[in-house]
Amino acid sequence: MYILRMRDASYRRRGETIVAPTSLDLAPGTRMTRACGSAREAEGLAMMAAALARASAGSVTIGEYDPRVQPVHCKRIAAFVPHDPLPLSHIDAARYVAYRAALWDVGVETARARIASLLARLEGVHEAFAYPIAGALLPSPQLLVVDRPQAAIVPQILAAADDCAILITQTEGRA
Amino acid sequence: MTARAFAAIAGARLRAERRSLVFACASAAIVGFVQSHAFSLEAPLFFCSTIGIAVALLQGPGRHAYLDVTERSAPLFGRELARAKALAPVVSATLATLICWAAQFLSGFAMPVATFVEALACAIASTLVALNATTRSGAGRFVALGSAAATIVAAYLLAKSGGAAGAATESIACAIVGFVALLQYGESLARYDPL
Repeated sequence: MYILRMRDASYRRRGETIVAPTSLDLAPGTRMTRACGSAREAEGLAMMAAALARASAGSVTIGEYDPRVQPVHCKRIAAFVPHDPLPLSHIDAARYVAYRAALWDVGVETARARIASLLARLEGVHEAFAYPIAGALLPSPQLLVVDRPQAAIVPQILAAADDCAILITQTEGRA
Repeated sequence: MTARAFAAIAGARLRAERRSLVFACASAAIVGFVQSHAFSLEAPLFFCSTIGIAVALLQGPGRHAYLDVTERSAPLFGRELARAKALAPVVSATLATLICWAAQFLSGFAMPVATFVEALACAIASTLVALNATTRSGAGRFVALGSAAATIVAAYLLAKSGGAAGAATESIACAIVGFVALLQYGESLARYDPL
């Protein structure tokens, strides 16, 4: 059984192919880096893998669910780390942790303790990048999808994620 | 959806748009103080509804990308997300209408309670209709905005149609339109594609 399966999954919008047909299998606990031709393609692939965008053609299965039919079930399995850093000038870190804990229904104290533990493992990563990663790992997802992380912080992400399956998208030349 | 998640989304949206909220309330206060026709319906109804539409449009994607991504990746149904996200602009429109009425009251020309209810119902309904424009692009966005404008005009005509019956009809019509618009917003959030 795979935690993420894609079969010729592609994404098109207004006649333009953003993600070319892609097939991949990701088993629980394994890690994969996928090189894409452009930043847009990498973002599209990551969003399809995390059930944030629906494939225009082909199939995507997260766990045993189809994101087109059961997106909420898929989002309980997969967590998404966006490429952009958290704008700490707009939201302070404590509020961000409370916000994420509320959305994923994690107890406040549990969330604080887990985030502190994750941040310790993400030592050296700037807070603006560390908080979204720790926030994504907060509800203990089975699949972590990271959209174009900085190459320098990939080892810390892999170390923080324990036995969670990880899909990292990169633009070509950086994978 | 837990009450905690609902409060977290609504609170985060309100906090992110706090400057717009203050601006909306301040401008509503000015309109309430300076409107020349005492007891008239036009100023609060049209102005506060327009404020509601403007604040609704601020909920569109891109303005607070970190909130958009986090909300979209949370295990929530579109209808649940719609209710939570709609609360912030609805609160803004409601506060603007209340402050407009309070300003009128302080200047000695407060509109009657029935007129206030008419203005409030119209402001909330047009805000909810305008939210649908945030998940659409191109012609669909203009249709949604046109629907919001049409809601204001229809509510005004109903309110002007006569006395207590007109006020009741307008409020009921606005409640129905707002409810349908919120359902539609939930559907469009569920189908929304961020790419």
